[in-house]
Amino acid sequence: MHQVIVNRLEDYLAGSSNIPREFTAHLEACAECRTEVSEMQEIGAAFESLRSSDELAPAPDFYARLNILIEDQQARSFWRWFSWEPLFGRRVAFASLMALFLLGSFLVSRETEYAAGPTSPEQLIAHQEPSENPDAMLASLVGYRE
Amino acid sequence: MRRAQEGDQTAFREIVERYQSKVFSIIHGIVRQRNDVEDIAQQVFAKVYFSLRSFDFRSSLVTWIYKITVNECFDYLRKKKVRKLVYESDLSEDEVRRVENSEPAMDRQPGADTTLARRDYVLKLLSRVSEEERSLLMQKEVEGHSVEELAQMTGMNENTIKVKLFRARQKLVKAAQRLDRAPGVAVKG
Repeated sequence: MHQVIVNRLEDYLAGSSNIPREFTAHLEACAECRTEVSEMQEIGAAFESLRSSDELAPAPDFYARLNILIEDQQARSFWRWFSWEPLFGRRVAFASLMALFLLGSFLVSRETEYAAGPTSPEQLIAHQEPSENPDAMLASLVGYRE
Repeated sequence: MRRAQEGDQTAFREIVERYQSKVFSIIHGIVRQRNDVEDIAQQVFAKVYFSLRSFDFRSSLVTWIYKITVNECFDYLRKKKVRKLVYESDLSEDEVRRVENSEPAMDRQPGADTTLARRDYVLKLLSRVSEEERSLLMQKEVEGHSVEELAQMTGMNENTIKVKLFRARQKLVKAAQRLDRAPGVAVKG
């Protein structure tokens, strides 16, 4: 659609009497703009079917029932934090499995490391906490040799 | 509105009482099922209540409530359509025909069939545009607001409104062309 039509389209569709000569002249000359404007008019007229002719009055207890609905939705949104919603549930299950897997691998690797135990006195000493008392370290070494 | 945002229940009640008739009228215009109007209106005001804090005063309160109402109606129509499709998928063709004939009658008046067909047609077209475009088009065409009024109500300038309306109308025309080519086309105006 050409700019000359776009600029005044709303006025034209609203049935304004203040439409410039330039607009109508273009509409007469340009078949493409004429067709599109005509389709827009046709669709615009169909909007009339969405107007409500009846005056509907709310029931006297409308506000009271609205309050109940609001309270209900508030309660539901609170409990939703604890509920097992499908997506949230899957995420929690995945995170738990990952945590279990990591903990398991860590424990298994530690187990393998210590399964055989230190094989030499030097390794035994290396695994022990550095003691403040050198005699205790010697006692351990003697105990191992025995 | 500011009082309602701060949690003043009396202020919220004033909002409900001021706009309930307008909301009822918009809903009835779109869904035409008297029985459902009140339920949808309740959902609208519940949404208004829970979104009060997000209202930023850029548009007028009535424009904001209008948009929520129109969206709620389209949401209702979409859910209703899905429910009907699921239900009908379990029925035979004869049973579907019988159910359609026994559906609760909408508010019928003389010439109601044509009006209903036009209503279905325009609702189908409106479901093809964005929420903002739908609300603007309805405020212009159904409520009869001028571009100047829409600019004031939405806080946008007049040229922006004109451009948005033009794009929305173009989308409607394209949707109508696609719909006309589809089998079992609804009646035009």
